Amino acid sequence: MAERPEDLNLPNAVVTRIIKDAIPDGVNVSKEARLAISKAASVFVLYATSCSNNYAMKAKRKTINANDVISAMEEMEFDQFEDPLKHCLEAYRNEQKNKKEANEKKKKEKEVEVQTVEDVMEEEEDDDDNDGDNEKDEDFVAEEDDDDDDEEEDEEGGDVESVGPASVANDNASVSGSATGSVVEISDDDG
Amino acid sequence: MAGVEEMESQTDDKENSSEKIVKTKEKNSNQDSEKLMKLPLSRIKSIMKSDPDVTLASQEAVITIAKATELFIWELSKDAVHSTLQSKRKTLQRKDLDCILDTRDCYLFLEGTLD
Repeated sequence: MAERPEDLNLPNAVVTRIIKDAIPDGVNVSKEARLAISKAASVFVLYATSCSNNYAMKAKRKTINANDVISAMEEMEFDQFEDPLKHCLEAYRNEQKNKKEANEKKKKEKEVEVQTVEDVMEEEEDDDDNDGDNEKDEDFVAEEDDDDDDEEEDEEGGDVESVGPASVANDNASVSGSATGSVVEISDDDG
Repeated sequence: MAGVEEMESQTDDKENSSEKIVKTKEKNSNQDSEKLMKLPLSRIKSIMKSDPDVTLASQEAVITIAKATELFIWELSKDAVHSTLQSKRKTLQRKDLDCILDTRDCYLFLEGTLD
């Protein structure tokens, strides 16, 4: 097999970081030692792959799985790796599970959003007078004919409309209030 | 089986580089909880592919081997530095490695490979 340095060697920076984590502070590593450890790690990958493959073949499988690798560690006399590897695998599986659940949740939320937007758009289409509600336009048209204070009422917008029957009943009602408020003063001239 | 990846004899460099970017991002996202993977999975996969007897390996298998390799580097360095400290040196040298490779049985598979 052709040896390609890029393919068979692990990145120097990562290997150096792992070495420095393992050794006490203040101790350095020579370039030669670093390269030798990196090469040893590559050989380890090959050896572990081969042993794992043997386990898979014994079980009449063509695919190496995580359990084959963990079993291979025992054969390679690295029993102490078994527990950390199991923890790592569990963490990875949990992470994958969480990712999947998060994606499904996002999908559902998007569907709800789309549905809400569609509903709102339908409501807006029904609101011909653009007053923010879908109250019958007949009432609006009736008020416009009856009252002289239509302009003011128009400014008040929805708040006046919501008063509804009261405004129709009080012919002498005067409407006043701030743009934001819905205060209606009703004065009876007949008194 | 989810995550089964077929081993091909030809290596696609572009695919590997894009995989590296994805794996790097994944690594960064894992930093909050724990650093799950330090070694790039694409490189581990390349090394595994070079074994002609290997046909298929699951994603979990690649991850487990990657983690085992990290543990191996850590263990080897920890053992080698004992020799460094015994010799009262502050730099881990090649001879420290040669010293411990002869002492522990688990390192016998490395015999003749580092020369």
